[in-house]
Amino acid sequence: MDGPHERHARSVSRSRTPTRFAYAQPRQRRKHRETLKDCCKKIVAFMCTQVGVGALLIGYTVIGAVVFTHLERRGNNTETIDVEAFRNSTVKKLFLVVMKNNILDRSGFNQDMNKVLKVHQDQVSQIFKHGYDERPVEEIWTFPAALMFCLSIITMVGYGNMVPKTFEGKILTMVYAIFGLPLYILYFRNMGTIFAGCFKWTYRRLYECSTEKDENRKKIIVPSTACLWVIFAYILTGAIMFSEWEHWDFLDSTYFCVTSLCKIGFGDLVPGADVNASNHGNQTKIVINFLYMLLGLGLIAMCYNLMREEIRVKLKEMNEDFNQCLEDTKIRFLACCKRCRKRDLEYEDY
Amino acid sequence: MDRRRSVRRQGRRYRRPWFKKCKEYARNFIAFLFSNVGIIGLVIGYTIAGSFMIQALERGKPIPVQLYAIGNRTMFAKKLWNITMELNANVKLKEKEYRDTIDVELIRFQEIFVNLTRKGYDGSDDAYGYKSWSFAGAFLYSLTVITTIGYGNIWPHTPQGKIASIVYAIIGMPLFLLYLSNIGDVMAKSFKWIYANFCLCRWCPGVAKRRAERRIQRDQQMIEDGSSDSQSRKSNSSSGSPDVSIEMTNMNARQSVTSDAVTMTSNGSYDVESVNVPITVCLMIMVGYICGGAILFFRWEFDSGWTFLDASYFCFISLSTIGFGDFVPGDKIYGQGEFDEILELKFVFCSMYLMLGMALIAMCFNLMQEEVINKIRTTVRTVKYIFRCRR
Repeated sequence: MDGPHERHARSVSRSRTPTRFAYAQPRQRRKHRETLKDCCKKIVAFMCTQVGVGALLIGYTVIGAVVFTHLERRGNNTETIDVEAFRNSTVKKLFLVVMKNNILDRSGFNQDMNKVLKVHQDQVSQIFKHGYDERPVEEIWTFPAALMFCLSIITMVGYGNMVPKTFEGKILTMVYAIFGLPLYILYFRNMGTIFAGCFKWTYRRLYECSTEKDENRKKIIVPSTACLWVIFAYILTGAIMFSEWEHWDFLDSTYFCVTSLCKIGFGDLVPGADVNASNHGNQTKIVINFLYMLLGLGLIAMCYNLMREEIRVKLKEMNEDFNQCLEDTKIRFLACCKRCRKRDLEYEDY
Repeated sequence: MDRRRSVRRQGRRYRRPWFKKCKEYARNFIAFLFSNVGIIGLVIGYTIAGSFMIQALERGKPIPVQLYAIGNRTMFAKKLWNITMELNANVKLKEKEYRDTIDVELIRFQEIFVNLTRKGYDGSDDAYGYKSWSFAGAFLYSLTVITTIGYGNIWPHTPQGKIASIVYAIIGMPLFLLYLSNIGDVMAKSFKWIYANFCLCRWCPGVAKRRAERRIQRDQQMIEDGSSDSQSRKSNSSSGSPDVSIEMTNMNARQSVTSDAVTMTSNGSYDVESVNVPITVCLMIMVGYICGGAILFFRWEFDSGWTFLDASYFCFISLSTIGFGDFVPGDKIYGQGEFDEILELKFVFCSMYLMLGMALIAMCFNLMQEEVINKIRTTVRTVKYIFRCRR
C-alpha cells in the first residue's frame, strides 16, 4: 500500500540505507554464485563432451609441440660432430690403405677399401638408428612435425621417425604420455559415441527413405558391413591421397594407412619425411596427415561402437540357435536310441 | 524279463547324462579356450604361426635396398681406385690433396647411404634377410604387430609380406584385446585376493574384528561431535544448516556402520569383492615393473651404450604401446652373426616381458578404474550435499 512511500523514505534516510544493503547483498551474491556455478558446470560439461574433448586434445598436442620444439632445439646435436669425426678417421684409414697397397694390387686394394667403408657405414648407421638425420635440429623439429610427434605419442602410434634425444626430452615424453593417454581414451570414447549417433541417424533416415513407412518403427541396427564399408572407403581415400603425394606405390600407401590407423606405426613410411622434397610442401603434408589420423581414429571408434552393439545381438542369436540345434540333435538321437531299443527288445522277445 | 528291463533302465539312466556330459565338455572346452590358460595359449600359438608365416614370406627374398647399398659400396671402392690411379700418375702421392678429394667423395657416398638408410637399409650385409628374419626376430615382429607396438626395426619388404601383415594385424588385434581383458580380469581378482589376505592381514585372527570395532567407535565419536557441534551452532541460532549437517553425519555414520556390519557378517569367508586396492599400490606396481625391466635391459644392453634413462624410456615406450623403435634390444649391428644365440634369447625375453607387462598394466587399469569410479561417486555425493546445504 505504502510501498512507494516507504521506498522513498528509505532512499532518503541515510541511516536506513546500510540495512537495506545488508539485506540485498547476499541475494546478489547468491545470484552471482549461482551463475558462476552454472558457468563452471557448463564449462566442465562442455569440456567432457563432444567438441570440448577434441579441442582439449588439439590444445594438448599444440602445447606439447611448442614445448618439444623448444626443448629439442636447445639440445646440441653432437651427432653431426661425431659423423664428421668418423669421416675424418675413415679418410685417414683410406689413405693408410692406399699407402699399404701402393704396389697397386687391385684386388687387395678393393678388399681393404670395402672393409674400411663397411666400418664407416656401420658407425654411421649406428648413429642413424638413434635418430641422426643429416638435417640440423631446427629443420627436424618444425612445428607441424612436432605436432605429429605429439599425436603419435598420445595415440600410441609411435612412428619413430623423430625421437627426443635430449635428457629432458625423454623424461618429458614419458610424463606427456602418462597424461595424454587418458585424454586420448576420453576422446576415443566420446568421438565414438558422437560419430555413432550421427551415422545411425543418417542410416536410419536413408533406410526410412528407401523403404516406405509400412513397417512399424522398431530399433534399426546398423549392419557391421556398413561400418566396414565406411572404414574401407576411408582407407582407400587415404591410400590414393598419399600415393598421389608421396609417389609411393598403391600397396605401400594402403599399408601405411592400415598400420597407422591400427596404431602399429612401423615408421618405415612416413609422409613428409622425404628430405629431398621442399620443406614447405612437407609441412602441409604433415598437417594433413595429422587431421587424417585424428578423423580416422574417431571413425574407428565409431565402428567399434556400432559393431559392438551388433555383435552383441548376433551373439545372443547365435547362442539361441546353438541351443536349439543341440536340443534338436538330442531329440533326434533319443528317438533313434528308442527305435534301436525297441528293435532290441523285439529281437530279445523273439 | 523284469530283471532285464531293470538293467536296461539303468542303462537308459546312464545314457542321458552322457548327452549332458558331451555338451558340458564342449562348453567347457570353449570356455577354456576363451579364458585364462586357453587364451594365453591361443595368443602364443597365433604369434608363433605368424612368425612362421612371415618367415616363409620374407626370408630369403632379396631386399632391394640392401642390394643397392652393397652395390653402391663396391662402386665407391672402384671410384676410389680410379682417383688413386689418377693422383698416383702424377709423380708422388700428396697426402693433403688426396685427402681433400677423398673427403668430397666420401660426403657424396654418405649422402646416398643415409638416404638408403631412411628407406630401410639396416647397415648389415644381410641382403636376403636371413639374419633379421630369424625365428626370434619374426616372433618379436608378429608380437609388435598384434600388440600395436610396431617398433619398425624390421618390416616386410615384399608385397606379399605387406598384405599378409595387414591381414594378420586385423585378425590378431581383437585376439590380443581379448587376451588383455581376460588376463587383466583374472590377475586383478587374484591380486585383490592376495592384497586382502596378506597385505591387510585379514587372515590373522582378530585383526578384522578389532579394525571394525575401531571404526564403529570412531563413527560414534563423530556423531557425538557433530551433534555437539550442531547444538553449539544452534545456540548461536544461525540459519537451518546445522540440521543438514547432523543429517549428513548421521547418514555417513549409518552407512559406514552398515558396511561394517556387512563385512562383519561375512567375516568367516571374507568378501574379496568389497576390498579396494588403493591407486598408489597399482602405481607402485607399474613403476616397479618398469624399473625392474629398466635395470635388466640396462645390464644387457650396457655394451651397446644404453643409459639407465634410455632403458626405462624403452620400457615405458614399449609398455604404453607407443613403440618408437629408436631403442630395440638386440639391435646391435656389430653383434650380428657373432652372438646369434644371445640375440635370440634377448628377443624371446623381450617378448615375454612385453606380454607379461601388458597384462600387468591391464590389471592395474582394471583395479584403478574401480577405485576411481568409487572416488568419483563419493565426491559427487559430497558435492551434492554441500550444495544442498547452501540452499
